[in-house]
Amino acid sequence: MDFQAIADHLSVAQVPGLLSVELPRSPDKETKDKGRSGLPYLCVEPSRIVEFLTFCRDDDALGFEVLVDLTASDPSADDENLWILIQLLSVRHRQRLGIKCLLPKSALSMPSSTKVYRAAQWHERECMEMYGVTFEDHPDPRNMLLPDDWVGYPMRKDYEFPKEYHGISCE
Amino acid sequence: MTSPPQAEHKPSIRPADEARTLPSGEREFFMDVATSDLEVNMGPQHPATHGVMRVLLRTDGELVTGAQPHLGYLHRCAEKIGESVEWLQYLPYTDRYDYLSAMNNNLSYSLAVEALMPELEIPRRGTMIRMICAELNRIASHLVAFGTYGLDIGAFTPFFYAFREREWIQALFEKICGARLTYSYIRIGGVFNDTPPGWLQEVADFCDVFEEKWQEYYDLLIENHIFVQRTANVGVISEEMAYDFGLTGPMLRGSGVDFDLRRDMPYLEYGEAHDAGAFKVPIGTGEKGTVGDCWDRTQVRMVEMMESLGLVRWCLEQIEPGPVIGDVPRVIKVPPGEAYVGIENPRGELGHYMHSDGGKIATRCRVRAPSFVNLAVLEDLMPGTLLADSVAIIGSTDIVIGETDR
Repeated sequence: MDFQAIADHLSVAQVPGLLSVELPRSPDKETKDKGRSGLPYLCVEPSRIVEFLTFCRDDDALGFEVLVDLTASDPSADDENLWILIQLLSVRHRQRLGIKCLLPKSALSMPSSTKVYRAAQWHERECMEMYGVTFEDHPDPRNMLLPDDWVGYPMRKDYEFPKEYHGISCE
Repeated sequence: MTSPPQAEHKPSIRPADEARTLPSGEREFFMDVATSDLEVNMGPQHPATHGVMRVLLRTDGELVTGAQPHLGYLHRCAEKIGESVEWLQYLPYTDRYDYLSAMNNNLSYSLAVEALMPELEIPRRGTMIRMICAELNRIASHLVAFGTYGLDIGAFTPFFYAFREREWIQALFEKICGARLTYSYIRIGGVFNDTPPGWLQEVADFCDVFEEKWQEYYDLLIENHIFVQRTANVGVISEEMAYDFGLTGPMLRGSGVDFDLRRDMPYLEYGEAHDAGAFKVPIGTGEKGTVGDCWDRTQVRMVEMMESLGLVRWCLEQIEPGPVIGDVPRVIKVPPGEAYVGIENPRGELGHYMHSDGGKIATRCRVRAPSFVNLAVLEDLMPGTLLADSVAIIGSTDIVIGETDR
């Protein structure tokens, strides 16, 4: 199925959590819209992500067996939302699906997808240390790449680089 | 006067019904002596971890009861750097995640940026050179995987043969771009420059020699009785487990899943090459043991080398004179948008998620590293195996620490 067919299939099935379908669009000078190139994706409500992913995995027509990637993105320091980006892959049907969840920076918490895909476990650990997102019920919420005593969330756009670390100057 | 009751005698010999069967169902052994769990640090400096990684093993005698990989010793903030430097300036950093297949890393990044620039056209000669370089680099990378895997489990000789052939490929790359390991040759829009005179003929010569050598290596290591004994039925990853952990590349195909991004979601001219019969996709069949064991994964890598050779030969037939790079400005400005592009690296799917707001610098640069994802399976795969097999299992995942930690 192409992306539009997947989106239609999900809307017909009335899967909980599906908010909108975002397609690439060409620039428009009148509305000063810069346009959007690249790939289409679905916007999903963060609190319903587990149900949504379970449907995508178990539905025969979709068959997304593999969670390829789960990451976050901080579009800018002024933006009030953080994005959680999920890439799914169906080996059976040779198709991909991009999912985006908007998470307000004031309440950075969403359910963990580890129960649906074990692959999410390490990706979520990385998200937690890099962006400060809390994944509820995560089985192993330790730091993945950073030292255990690291302060701050380095991948956030408003991150301030430390002056020193254990007596080592960083300047 | 009666003596106090004796404390109940606890035999140090356990009854025979506590015999354990290993997950493969093949070997079982008896726990004769009562033992307690011991925690052993494998690494951070250990020859079998292929870099600076630590695996915290919990062992009960010779039996591994738990394994916890600790990463981050080689973390160099690649993603943060990607969001701080210009589009083209980031390219040399991509060489450094998986330093054994830098051409493929360059390619993945370039394709992700090109996905955001729909007006950019890549000339066919550039695409063909990209494919030749990517496939030669895949052979070089699998040669290291094959050589070091032998080293891990006690076969010293194949390593030298593997590095002899890899040296040849590196010399070819040195002629084309001046670097032996970190190439930065595949650029956004094509490749950096055209091939030097006679280079394509040298590649053809390499293909002819390598084909003979490959058979020798296959007989030397892969069919070797000791090697088969050490790897068959060890570290079995079932199809469901492979899906659950998001494995890709030879790890997924070793478990019998017939999936290769080059054939099933073609990029560059791989679709055309497959239609022309230039390559097939090898999968694990459980020839020596169970489907998805260490032997299957290694065998898939070996056969892939020959398939890559077929692709190189097909490209050499197809290549024609012409430009090698599209019309790319000196300072690249990428239109706003976001794209995820994953390609088939030697170790699995290397994906780049790039987000641009229309400026000179990426807003988000995400690297989906195959080694990182493939390594996660250790936590589930190791418990229940023998300590000596843990080295065989880590070796068969073929990780590069530069990529797990980025």
